[in-house]
Amino acid sequence: MKKGIISGVIIIVLALCFVLQGQGFGASPGENYKWYCAQCHGLNGKGDGPNATKEQPVTPRDHTDTKGMSKLTDADIENVIRDGGKATGKSTMMPPWGKTMTDAEIKELVKYLRQLCKC
Amino acid sequence: MKLIKVYQKLTVVFFSMVFTLILAGTANADVAGGQKIFEAKECGACHLTKGPNQDKTFEDKLKRKGPDLWFAGSKFKKEWLVKWLQDPKPIRQMAYNSIEKKNPGDHSKLSGKEAGDVTDYLMTLTSKDVVTGTIQAKKDLMGKMVFEKKQGCYGCHSSMRGAKVAGGLTGPSLVDAGKRLQGDWIYAYLKNPQAIIPVKRMPTYAGVLNDSEMKSVASYVASF
Repeated sequence: MKKGIISGVIIIVLALCFVLQGQGFGASPGENYKWYCAQCHGLNGKGDGPNATKEQPVTPRDHTDTKGMSKLTDADIENVIRDGGKATGKSTMMPPWGKTMTDAEIKELVKYLRQLCKC
Repeated sequence: MKLIKVYQKLTVVFFSMVFTLILAGTANADVAGGQKIFEAKECGACHLTKGPNQDKTFEDKLKRKGPDLWFAGSKFKKEWLVKWLQDPKPIRQMAYNSIEKKNPGDHSKLSGKEAGDVTDYLMTLTSKDVVTGTIQAKKDLMGKMVFEKKQGCYGCHSSMRGAKVAGGLTGPSLVDAGKRLQGDWIYAYLKNPQAIIPVKRMPTYAGVLNDSEMKSVASYVASF
């Protein structure tokens, strides 16, 4: 009986985890970067994507900036991708991607950013 | 005397029915005619008309050359569509599915009659996930706050900022969006993007914004 209840709880928790997180498309971190992030940060991560127009209130971060990027911890980067700029005291122009990509994809994306910044 | 009146009434009813049938026939002819034009011009080579969209990967999406139209009747305002098909000015700054190439602005142009018929056809294509009558266009304050402050929607969508057009280029322009889009479609897309456009570059806001915020943004954008 107890085992049944525990199994039930585990199934519900797993189902909730699946529902609450984003739904990815099985893409590689590089593909996700080029699909989503490059819109603002550019295909090579220099902060020069098509949305980085003159009129925008902020400039997208240059992900190849080793010095600037090295100030951020992996957790900082993960949080800003998942919850957007506002959640980390930055601009709301950086949207939250936590319901768009899975947690695993976001963690992989952090590693990809570390390659871009060489930091 | 009574018999004459009955005959008169029956005659009126008969002609009304004939007139209604003729009208219905004409309307159907426009829909069928519109579909024929759509097929003859091979619009389906770029636009999906049989939904829902089954895309599962970026590759699936990249094979598409133009926006889906399988929900066109739930998405567009009829008056706008018939005008746009005759004078198709780009809505997207970037070419469809690209963040590198500019929109060449080479969409086919239709004559007035063709545009009317194709519009009649496209307006018959609807999505069951778009519930009509939910969203009324209005300058919703919460919607404005979400659009401009809580989320940076104009980061990707150009819109009017005071008297100027400003904003990002990768999303469709939202200048005059209310003339083009039905608020109910905007809300349905925000609430359940999977059912409308399963693979997209826009973040999913379901679970980020609450239902009331999504309704407010839809009302606000529909007022543009």
